[in-house]
Amino acid sequence: MKFRGKITDIACLNHFTTFSRILKSAVCLNEADPLCSGVVTTISKLTKTCVLRLTPDHLFFILPGKVTNGGVGMWCQLLQANFFQEYQMEGVTSEVQEICLEVSPEPWSRALKTVQSAKSVKLKLTRKHCACLTVAAELPTLSSVGRVVTHDVPVDVIPRRLWQEFQEVGVPDFDVSVYLPPLKTMKSVVDRMKNLSNFLVMEANLNGDMNLKIQTDLVSVTTHFKDLGNPAGGDVSSQDGGPSQSRDPEVMAEVTVDIRKLQQFLMGQQVNPSKALCNIVHQNVVHLVLLHEDVSLQYFIPAVA
Amino acid sequence: MNCVIERNSVKALGKAIHALSRIGNELWLDPMVKGLALRSVNSAHSAYGCFLFSPMFFKHYSLESGSKQGSKAIKCKLVMKSVLPLFRCLTSIERSVERCHMSVSTATDRVIIQFFCRHGIIKTHNIHFQESEALQAVFDSHLCANVLKAPARLLADMVVHFPLFQEEITLSITPMKVTLRNYQQGGKGVLTLSGPMKTMYTEMSLHPNEFDYFQIGLDSDITFCLKELRGILSFAESRSLPVSVYLDAAGKPVCFSVEDMVLEATVLLATVTDSDSRDHSQPTESLTPKISRCISSPAQPVAMSQGPGSRSYTVPDELIASSQGSPVISCPGAMRLPQIREQTCLSVDSQECTSSTSSPASTKVCSLLFNALSSQQDQDGCAAQLPVLACYSDEENADDNPRSPSQ
Repeated sequence: MKFRGKITDIACLNHFTTFSRILKSAVCLNEADPLCSGVVTTISKLTKTCVLRLTPDHLFFILPGKVTNGGVGMWCQLLQANFFQEYQMEGVTSEVQEICLEVSPEPWSRALKTVQSAKSVKLKLTRKHCACLTVAAELPTLSSVGRVVTHDVPVDVIPRRLWQEFQEVGVPDFDVSVYLPPLKTMKSVVDRMKNLSNFLVMEANLNGDMNLKIQTDLVSVTTHFKDLGNPAGGDVSSQDGGPSQSRDPEVMAEVTVDIRKLQQFLMGQQVNPSKALCNIVHQNVVHLVLLHEDVSLQYFIPAVA
Repeated sequence: MNCVIERNSVKALGKAIHALSRIGNELWLDPMVKGLALRSVNSAHSAYGCFLFSPMFFKHYSLESGSKQGSKAIKCKLVMKSVLPLFRCLTSIERSVERCHMSVSTATDRVIIQFFCRHGIIKTHNIHFQESEALQAVFDSHLCANVLKAPARLLADMVVHFPLFQEEITLSITPMKVTLRNYQQGGKGVLTLSGPMKTMYTEMSLHPNEFDYFQIGLDSDITFCLKELRGILSFAESRSLPVSVYLDAAGKPVCFSVEDMVLEATVLLATVTDSDSRDHSQPTESLTPKISRCISSPAQPVAMSQGPGSRSYTVPDELIASSQGSPVISCPGAMRLPQIREQTCLSVDSQECTSSTSSPASTKVCSLLFNALSSQQDQDGCAAQLPVLACYSDEENADDNPRSPSQ
């Protein structure tokens, strides 16, 4: 099992920076789980770690969502050719050209923070005191000799029997699919709503309308977004599952979500995506899909019981 | 003591207090003729910080406390928790404080800090102090084999790769490169409930030509606490000052020093000794915790300063200038604080070191260079009992390059 990758192009490094910012949001999403409420859950290590899946063509960064305890899932996909000038990998066996690694998001995002200011980056799977993903970045300096920063991020190789959890997640059969309003606007709305209530209702219909609603004993607040547009037929995902033709365009599909999860998702989006849409499965899950140039991200926020 | 600090300098004072708060829980105030010294030491005595503000830093600086004419300047100790909140929000201080008055009131045992803010608002804080001897560390940077000098920005860029919770880091220096890496205790990581926790290992290396000044006398590998260093680095960055690093072999303290026209800041950190570098326990401190009344124990410091032949020593004006028996943190490696004006370097005749008083002639020589020194000595009755850490012959070798590696 081997992996070596090298990024030397500045533009590619900038794209990779986007990736690292997304990771920061992943760290946020994973940390504040309301159902944990102070009790450290060591039930499953997977809720506290991220999975890096490497194939000859793609890099996947996956946060497995444990829907049972209200966790959020995230799926991030990069086309390796758009980033790496050099990319060599050998899978676990000669037939299976895939590697699955479990990595703790905090050190990984710290390593990537260094990458943000680098001139060139090398990624390698190595074995030091344990299996590590070594990130070696060369930082620009005024002199001819660059500074080299090396981070050895400890990783765990995930055995093949657990791999099915990290295969490409199909898009659920959603009821409504709508483009999202500008994320900054959404964020400022959600930030203010958070002060009033813990739960928010997201609803949208096929007419391009979306509402964000909160309700308390004293007050109810609704923000209406109009003319957002609906993706034609299906959406960016390759799976089919488009909305049924007979659905009334005025009828809203709604999901009640934990407002903090939505807020954390919005906090991590510092860069405006080229495409952002939202699939809603009525009273089930909100599936958010973002496309940042070469990086595609999917978030699943489950409905609150 | 009575001083007035102008608007722009209040922020510098605040930053100095922030830096010292990272080191210890108590703040020593030592008003001297040559300036106001703010010092702190951590409980393990493995980190020491000193910020000396010369009278030029202040709009007005006087050692006398208001009404009491001719009274001696009180040296005192404050609880850091009382002082830090006053300077916590530096941006709002910068915006609203026009000037700051600091004075020591012996009648009420309070240090009075008054902020004169915009719109005629005056905030007065009375902080209880404990009278105390001045705190001093003894360190001679000229004995250090390796000296580095770099803009604060460079050092800040070096430590930014390490997480905020990183306790210790190891700095390695060879003629080819300078490396900084996080300190591995035991090498196997820490055992937790879920199995051995694997720590992330970070290493960064720089070429010597990135430093403004790079002098290497011996290849060394030192491990010290990063947390205590961050304070002075942030201070240096805010003033855009270069930082000088004096280091030697593992086990000897490392000194980080910053200076400009009106102030001088120093942080001394103990380093892990070689034999302990594989231990799981706390790194043993090589700054021995010795807060003792120095008067009656001249032997220790003097013995340390007895070096072979013609070592050049600088006069430790801070030590001699203390009024009552000042507690001395003595280190096994003959350490003294680096001097403000480093070009003054007096050569030492080791035989003279045995005397515990300085000869009148040398005192006079001393006074030409360090005014504060001689006047303090005249005033203080116990000057004669103070251990002399440097004896100087009349023929000082003023041409000595202060930065040359010691013999």
